[in-house]
Amino acid sequence: MTATDLPPLDSPEVASLHRNMRRRNLRGRLFTYGAAIVIALWILVPIFFVFSMAFTTEDTVRSYPKNFLPLIPFSTETMSFFLQSEGVLRGLVNSLIVAVVTLVLSTVIAVPAGYAIARYLFPGRDLFRLAVLAVRAFPIVVLSIPLAVLFLRVGLFDSVLSLALMHTALALPTTILVVSSVFASVPYELEEAGQVFGATPLQSFRYIVTPLVLPGIAASGLFTFVLSWNEVFAASVLTLENRTLPALVLTSLSNSSDAFQFAGGFFLMVPSIIFMFFIRRYLFNMWGQVSK
Amino acid sequence: MANKQQGSATAEQAGSRTQRRRTVTPYLLIAPALIYLAMFFAYPMFQGLMLAIFDDDAALVLVDEPSLNGREVERLTQGTRLNILARQGNLLADESDATDLLTEQWFLVSGEGTSGTDVSGWAAESRVRVRDEAADGTPLGGTIRPRLGAGADEATPLFAEANETSEVVAEIEQRVPVTIDDIAILEVWFQVEASDAAGKAVGWAPSRFVEIFDDEETGRVDEGSVGEFTTGFISKMFNDSFFSDAWRTTLLLMLLILPAQFVLAMLMALVIDARLKFGSGFLYIFTLPMGMSDLAVGILFFSIFTGNGLLNSVLESVGILDGPKTFLSADTIPWIIFAIVLAELWRATSIVMVIIVSGLQAIPRETLEAAELFGAGYWQRVRHIMLPLLLPSIQVALILRTILAFQVFAVVIALSGGDIVTVLANETFRQYFEFRNNNVASAYALFILLLSMASAFFYLRAVRAQTEVAST
Repeated sequence: MTATDLPPLDSPEVASLHRNMRRRNLRGRLFTYGAAIVIALWILVPIFFVFSMAFTTEDTVRSYPKNFLPLIPFSTETMSFFLQSEGVLRGLVNSLIVAVVTLVLSTVIAVPAGYAIARYLFPGRDLFRLAVLAVRAFPIVVLSIPLAVLFLRVGLFDSVLSLALMHTALALPTTILVVSSVFASVPYELEEAGQVFGATPLQSFRYIVTPLVLPGIAASGLFTFVLSWNEVFAASVLTLENRTLPALVLTSLSNSSDAFQFAGGFFLMVPSIIFMFFIRRYLFNMWGQVSK
Repeated sequence: MANKQQGSATAEQAGSRTQRRRTVTPYLLIAPALIYLAMFFAYPMFQGLMLAIFDDDAALVLVDEPSLNGREVERLTQGTRLNILARQGNLLADESDATDLLTEQWFLVSGEGTSGTDVSGWAAESRVRVRDEAADGTPLGGTIRPRLGAGADEATPLFAEANETSEVVAEIEQRVPVTIDDIAILEVWFQVEASDAAGKAVGWAPSRFVEIFDDEETGRVDEGSVGEFTTGFISKMFNDSFFSDAWRTTLLLMLLILPAQFVLAMLMALVIDARLKFGSGFLYIFTLPMGMSDLAVGILFFSIFTGNGLLNSVLESVGILDGPKTFLSADTIPWIIFAIVLAELWRATSIVMVIIVSGLQAIPRETLEAAELFGAGYWQRVRHIMLPLLLPSIQVALILRTILAFQVFAVVIALSGGDIVTVLANETFRQYFEFRNNNVASAYALFILLLSMASAFFYLRAVRAQTEVAST
């Protein structure tokens, strides 16, 4: 087929083809926006409802039927009731300690390993990657019971530290893979260039690579924090007196008021609502990498 | 294999990304991670496996003499009834954490012997009356206890060692004052036979494994001294009254959730991939549930489905209901299942979406544009180009989601209390937390692990077969 066989660009056929395509495009766009908004509502409405239950009066929580949208009277009564309930403050502190220790520990261990995967070709590299991936896929449930027995034997049971050790084991594989993908996104030439201009390898790492990878590593750190903050099964198995917040809420589900549950549920969501904003761009990095 | 080599070859060409010099540096860099995972992953994993199939104190070994070096004569399982034939003190092998010990003390005493000279030797606590104690209660001296009854030996033997089988070094008269130079704590050993096989096998066992009944003549094996591999815990799990419920519900939930989830995730991914205005805002909203704990989401859906919750309020104000309907009770199990399915769809679809989106981004735009040029409509492109190219991503997402689906836990507890509707992870927790049975809990965990591995294997095979079909 040569160019002369085609109808000229200003012919009515081409114009109508364009019109059709545009119309179809427009309809498609509208449909996509519609779908986007419906899905967004499906996600937002429940969050909004539990938010309004977490910030209202206890009478409203008990009342029926509720004036659902958006007329639920705002008050800090339920939330402050939750925060002042017995053990909540301590659980909050425990949760924060566990999450921070997990974040620090897993980052410190994962950064060298991630760097090695990204920068070196060494025998066993693929095996190591595969092992890390396999660990990632293991069910948490399987690990919690033997670890509880183990910690009980060495006297580490029911301590915040033991839970942080367990959470680090859970978070480590993902962190290693994410960190390695972050390092891989910084070309090695940059490091080399620094060395050409007289920087030692350590200096070029410190002044060239570090600033470039810091945001990515921070994102993976936030993700680790959220993972540890949310984790409830291992937390309930490994702690008894030193409950973290999720474990506390879970074990008091059967004997607590609705107000306590709703406020607690919303409170548990807050970090993810904040952090997802910062790490959403890195999600594809993380999971794109993991699925390769 | 060829693929792999190609892959690393391109990595080398792409070049300086990787250093080709052989060094130990990478091994040093991955060492901490390896050590950590070995300590807190591989080792507990192995322990967990052992918990499920190895009974730490399955049997009690009877030996032919009251000593740790005795020859094994018989193995009795836990709970066997015993006849007690004799008892004897014996040196305590280790004073570790063993409980339920019966002990007796022996004293190293010295005093004037029957021969008139000073002698020294070991005597059981029962032969010495302590009359002098240090401030902390340590016995310092006493007299030899008189022996009562006809035919009782006038003299008390002193032994070379704190053991009745050792050599008698001297004899000592009753009521003779002695000094106590040393103390030995002995564990009592019993000579026993199984009462249902009386006279067959007689052997010795330490007191810590034996429970003596009040008559002092019978007892039972309280604890085993050696472990044995057993399928007992696993069959106990299978026979557990909650097992079949848990297993059926887990499977049912998976069958209900996964297909809907993948359709929804695909829709969400296409919306994100369409690069709308406010796309980044939609991305934020779509990924919000990803960072939320299953517990919080369970509570969230509880707040909707509970008696005076959102759903009833809406239904009543629209006029569908006249009064609140109870959704979450033992009589409305289908509603509970429905609520769990919705909660899991709400919570865990984001992660599938993210995986699919990163798969979509890897599809070359040219391919899609070419298809469009040849007149393929949008859904045709989705069906014939995107979906086949997305298979690897879908495979990963399927494996991940299935493994997570076996672990559904807090959502179920939040919506059903954990009794009305139960799942495998919940039973693991119940065995551990309520019944304090680590072994059966581990059997459940092992079961979940095997299911996860089997399904991962299944998907790997199934999706590969599909790609082969597609490529021929």
